[in-house]
Amino acid sequence: MTALLELRDVVKHFPVRDALGRRAGAVHAVDGVSLAVAEGEVLAIVGESGCGKSTLGRVMLRLIEPDSGSVRFAGEDLASLSPAALRARRRDMQIIFQDPFGSLDPRMTVAQAIAEPLRLHRVVPRAEEAARVAELLRRVGLRPENAGRWPHEFSGGQRQRIAIARALASNPRLIIGDEPVSALDVSVQAQVINLLRDLIRDLRLTFVLVSHDLGVVRHVADRVAVMYLGRLVEEGPAEHVLGAPRHPYTRALVAAMPGAQTKTPPLEGDVPSPIAPPSGCRFHTRCAYATEQCRAETPRLEGAAHAVACHFAASLPAPVERSAALGGGERLARLQGFFRGNAPSPIGMGDYA
Amino acid sequence: MTAPVLDVSGLSLGFRQDGRMLSILDGISFRAEAGKTLAIVGESGCGKSVASLAIMGLLPENAAVTGSARLMGRELIGLPAEDRRALRGAEMAMIFQEPMTSLNPAFTAGEQVAEALRLHQKLDRDAAFKAAVAMLEKVRIPDAARRARQYPHQLSGGMRQRVMIAIALACRPKLLIADEPTTALDVTVQAQILALLDDLKRETGTAVILITHDLGVVADHADDVVVMYAGRVAEQARAADLFARPEHPYTVGLQGAAPAAGVRGERLASIEGTVPDLRAPPPGCRFAPRCPFAIAGCAEGAPPLAEVAPGHFSACLRAPLDAMLGAAA
Repeated sequence: MTALLELRDVVKHFPVRDALGRRAGAVHAVDGVSLAVAEGEVLAIVGESGCGKSTLGRVMLRLIEPDSGSVRFAGEDLASLSPAALRARRRDMQIIFQDPFGSLDPRMTVAQAIAEPLRLHRVVPRAEEAARVAELLRRVGLRPENAGRWPHEFSGGQRQRIAIARALASNPRLIIGDEPVSALDVSVQAQVINLLRDLIRDLRLTFVLVSHDLGVVRHVADRVAVMYLGRLVEEGPAEHVLGAPRHPYTRALVAAMPGAQTKTPPLEGDVPSPIAPPSGCRFHTRCAYATEQCRAETPRLEGAAHAVACHFAASLPAPVERSAALGGGERLARLQGFFRGNAPSPIGMGDYA
Repeated sequence: MTAPVLDVSGLSLGFRQDGRMLSILDGISFRAEAGKTLAIVGESGCGKSVASLAIMGLLPENAAVTGSARLMGRELIGLPAEDRRALRGAEMAMIFQEPMTSLNPAFTAGEQVAEALRLHQKLDRDAAFKAAVAMLEKVRIPDAARRARQYPHQLSGGMRQRVMIAIALACRPKLLIADEPTTALDVTVQAQILALLDDLKRETGTAVILITHDLGVVADHADDVVVMYAGRVAEQARAADLFARPEHPYTVGLQGAAPAAGVRGERLASIEGTVPDLRAPPPGCRFAPRCPFAIAGCAEGAPPLAEVAPGHFSACLRAPLDAMLGAAA
């Protein structure tokens, strides 16, 4: 597989100013991240707030200009593109945000919101616009008759479907989803996760999922990259990173997943400030295995398929197994089978659902 | 069985709006016991938060509450406002999702814990501050004496929630209601706060009501569970029983929809449709329009919460659900 998107040594610091406007340090949002996303792959970037995952997602689309390092899309350095060429390139790269209430213009009907990118990128002739809008709405599971309605008339889940339809309008190759289901209720979240998975498969999309929720990541991602304070600490196939995590931080994240029912004691303390990140391995202040070497030397991300940035990755004890606490066995699985058919209620009360 | 700390029975609640009554809770019942965690779980709009506000007496003027909620045998519904105020903090306390909006930015963490102590106990300023520092130590704030002199904005989100817990527990309440206490926090900090609540509950014997949308949190921390849907109780059971043998179709769907639960790579068992509009709820069982097991009778009347196994209640005409699977189950 060839890389559709390639990041090399990306650095992005945001200056912090004091009350008098003087420069008082910088937030080290992204600090030397290299990553490749293969065509058709779903890569998840995970981590806690302030780890830099959202900044990294925006740097990928050059919505944020990196301080240094390169971002290549389909072999082309995005930094070398003129503003006009970048705009044209954006047709291939779209983003879906967390908040479906904030990302749609309340003064645009659904049809207008979806038609905007169609016109901007001249995807279809004007005469075919309405048909394309209807097709996109069907694609995301909404009725085309709703095209003339306004965003406020829809629920959160439906609004996120509209945002997805808008992102799909220009036939992109790459979509970044920044916490795309985090604001939704569990049952609606499951609908949108299923929809995203279908779209990724049917349209052969390359997808970068930025998320703090390892449960969602586990369901969608082929590969997972774990960030801590601006750096990658672990990266590899999803089943390895989440099933047999090697970095102490990833292990703590997996153990802290609600429903994990591991008896591992929770990680102590808070994430340190990204304005003054710890020396050496940035995780050393919270790591049970940290030594003098960890305080002094920055570990490199090493390993081919499953890479980890820890001086002691080879000598750490085996991770604690997760027990599937939420599983109710075969009875539950069979009962849940009735919910997978997407069938409406057998007594037909569709108007209420 | 010892008497429950809180006994809620047939609690209904509506809001008067434009001359009409919007019903939010329709006759819910549950009990919270000393030293145990009762989780109330459901999606937005199911009424889980408003139920706790009704118990605390924190509802706006246009709310109309009927039914009963007894704290240590004492009826809370209809209690005069000043009597209720005396109970809040002393006998029952509540913590919320966003500690920053619950804390006063103009006072230090220690002053705010001390104030809670001084309101309900006769302590002078110095003694109250000392007790506050001890309380902050109890909620495991490192370097508590220094942190007590800091303002909320100088503390992390997890630390602020610890301060809120310290305020809530300052006067040893019998009941602590925690409404999505960790939803705004990172997952590693969430784990710390929930472990702290577990420890404090064991040490103090406080009854904890944990309101959450996260079944994973319920599985890890609850003794008993109430599942709510559209203003009614759908299912109620010991936590272990609820996860092992859910008896309401909504619980089955919710468990399947939780991404942490399903099999990787498989479609999630999503519940189609959306939560009903409470201005015009469906007749009969409110989950029927989304339920794959619905029969004609489900549209006819609210199904009663019936005991389907010892201590396990389900408001579903089709329960026990084994019948859905045929003889093989």
